[in-house]
Amino acid sequence: MFVEAEHLKLTIKSTSILNDVNLHLAGGKIYGLLGPNGAGKSTTIAVILGLYDTDGGTLKLFDEPAGKHSMEAIQRIGVMPERAGFYDWMSAREYLEWYAELYGGIQFPISDLLDQVGLKHVSNSPVGHFSRGMRQRLALARALSHNPDLLILDEPTSGLDPRGRREIHDLLLSLAREKGTGILLSTHLLDDVDRLCDFIGIIHKGQTVLEGSSNELLNTPGSGHKFRLRLRNIPNADTLPNGVHLTGRKGNWWHVSLSSGINPPLLWRALLKSGWQISEIHGEGNGLEELYFQMTSERGNTFGEELL
Amino acid sequence: MTPVRIIAVKEYRALLKNQRGLVCLLAFSILLSAFAIVLISNRELSLLDNAQVVYMMTGTITAAGALIAVILGSDSYAGERERGTLIPLLTAPITPGELLMGKAAGIIIAWGVMYGLSLPYLWAVGASGQNLLQAVFYLALFGTPVVLGFGYLSMALSAETGHVLTALLNSLLVLIFSTSPLLIGPGLRNSAAGRFLDAINPFSGALNTYDAVIIDGNSFLAQLPRLALVVVWLGLTFAAARVASRHPRFM
Amino acid sequence: MSFKKIFFAIVVLSITSVVSTHAGTICISLAPDTANSSRPAMGNFLHFHSIIKNIGDKSVEGLVAWISLIEIDPGHEQPVDLEDWSAHKAITVARMKPGDTLKTVWPIRLIQHGRYRVAICAADRNHPAIYTSPPLEFHVAKKPVIQSNRIFPVAFGLPLLLIGLIFYRKRQNRRARI
Repeated sequence: MFVEAEHLKLTIKSTSILNDVNLHLAGGKIYGLLGPNGAGKSTTIAVILGLYDTDGGTLKLFDEPAGKHSMEAIQRIGVMPERAGFYDWMSAREYLEWYAELYGGIQFPISDLLDQVGLKHVSNSPVGHFSRGMRQRLALARALSHNPDLLILDEPTSGLDPRGRREIHDLLLSLAREKGTGILLSTHLLDDVDRLCDFIGIIHKGQTVLEGSSNELLNTPGSGHKFRLRLRNIPNADTLPNGVHLTGRKGNWWHVSLSSGINPPLLWRALLKSGWQISEIHGEGNGLEELYFQMTSERGNTFGEELL
Repeated sequence: MTPVRIIAVKEYRALLKNQRGLVCLLAFSILLSAFAIVLISNRELSLLDNAQVVYMMTGTITAAGALIAVILGSDSYAGERERGTLIPLLTAPITPGELLMGKAAGIIIAWGVMYGLSLPYLWAVGASGQNLLQAVFYLALFGTPVVLGFGYLSMALSAETGHVLTALLNSLLVLIFSTSPLLIGPGLRNSAAGRFLDAINPFSGALNTYDAVIIDGNSFLAQLPRLALVVVWLGLTFAAARVASRHPRFM
Repeated sequence: MSFKKIFFAIVVLSITSVVSTHAGTICISLAPDTANSSRPAMGNFLHFHSIIKNIGDKSVEGLVAWISLIEIDPGHEQPVDLEDWSAHKAITVARMKPGDTLKTVWPIRLIQHGRYRVAICAADRNHPAIYTSPPLEFHVAKKPVIQSNRIFPVAFGLPLLLIGLIFYRKRQNRRARI
């Protein structure tokens, strides 16, 4: 395991910030850390990076206890903080060369690194002139500059256009799959998690409320894509095929959840054939989104549906 | 290169390559220029004894140097935090002590540059007198710990508060209080409270030594108690910076 | 007389006392201090001794006497504001009986170079007249403590150098812009 955090606790100025956070990340895997603002994601990352001393729980990095992080462990970690800050008067190349020196020198050509994140054409421009997206790319290059085994990325694709996001996704996937880099990704963008993550952890109010592999979590009954169907009749719910779950009902509106692998158009056709008189269909988000809202909801069901 | 040197080189380049650093040096230079021009344009001041003029210029250099050191020190940690560059430093393989030493070296470099800039001013006002060399020597000996001390004090506040403005305002308050002998003149200094403050105030220590050696021609040995005062000031402020920099505010 | 001598020459101060004897009740004499520098220059102090005497047969009530200084350089003739020159600007006496004398020392600090005349004036409450001593003339030589030919190049040169460096960096930055 690259990161193994069990029951982490942290109190700052008598306020409990983290209370039972668990996180497990192996090499070659991408872990998506989700949670609302103020849930404790960034603090969890700070604890993993050794910026805070925990008040309880255990933390291991690369299978070694990580109370006071060893320089060897730190050398193997690349960090991209939430705020992509630089010395604006330095050029991208100068900055990366300078930063790489803190890790004992340049591991591979800076030009290649800049090329990898799509900044080679502006390598000699002062960072002060960079757009937000370019700064995000440079922050990723900084995290990669010493060829780390573990990447910790806080909102890595915020500020990027769709093409830029796709490029970063591809880069992260190739790092994990081809180089065996472990990637911890804290994000608000569920699409990032959906596309990239092998494992998901959801933190709410300083506590891990859900952790597991994305396959496992998204295939659990009630966790898949959700739809709202308007029906003209009251069909027999037992005629629903396997992988389709009735999750609620309010008047003519029936709520169903689909496990991954179910093809919605084929399903509607099958339901119509078996007597379901469907007049309207509304998508209600993918499974991850639903799972996220379910896990981080304050009041639970807010629509007053009849829960089955 | 050692981590301390890598940080110090960055600080040096930030001073001489970054607009902000150059503007600080320009402000320092303008302060001294303004004072030098006041000396020749003001009839009262232009009549002062040459030693008196050199003494006043030496005091002004120390005050201006401390002011710039406070600005740079306040920016050292809090500025990095506010610009989003502190976390990459804290998560790099360098210890908090190495980061502090690099930052402290940055303040030393800045004072070195300011000291170099101030020499032409001392020469301009004091070349016709007999006390120029004393001024140059004692500015290095007493001005250095006083200026660096103010820089380290603001570094400590910068690391502790994480806000440039808060660190700057608090450091400036201490600086203004300390430089009051230069601002309020000898009247208040003759009171019991004034004498006590003079005895513990590093800035007064430096000023009194400048007065004693540049104007009165006193011996070096007689300055040793005041030298001890400014060295203790430097030690205390560096210790404060060391404590605060162990867990700087980063979020 | 050479230029230098003109600049550093002393003004001849009257060796003997001069006495004012107006047709009134007050007589004022004025004399330079014997310790006054023979070559007064900017920054020096001069002292003048005045004797004010009631030569009338009645008492003088509410007497005020003051020092007056005028610059007499060609083209610069003007009364001098004594603000910087002297803190001892006037004296007052409630009553002077006939035959009474009042001796006063008037110190002045020489602030600006040039030719000057000094006189002591007096007035009392009951007589609509102003009595003055005969003036004394003196010259203040220049004393260059600080040399502007050294200060100006440094005071303007160094900031300009730094401004140049700032603009150079800015230009470099602009060139490297995306």
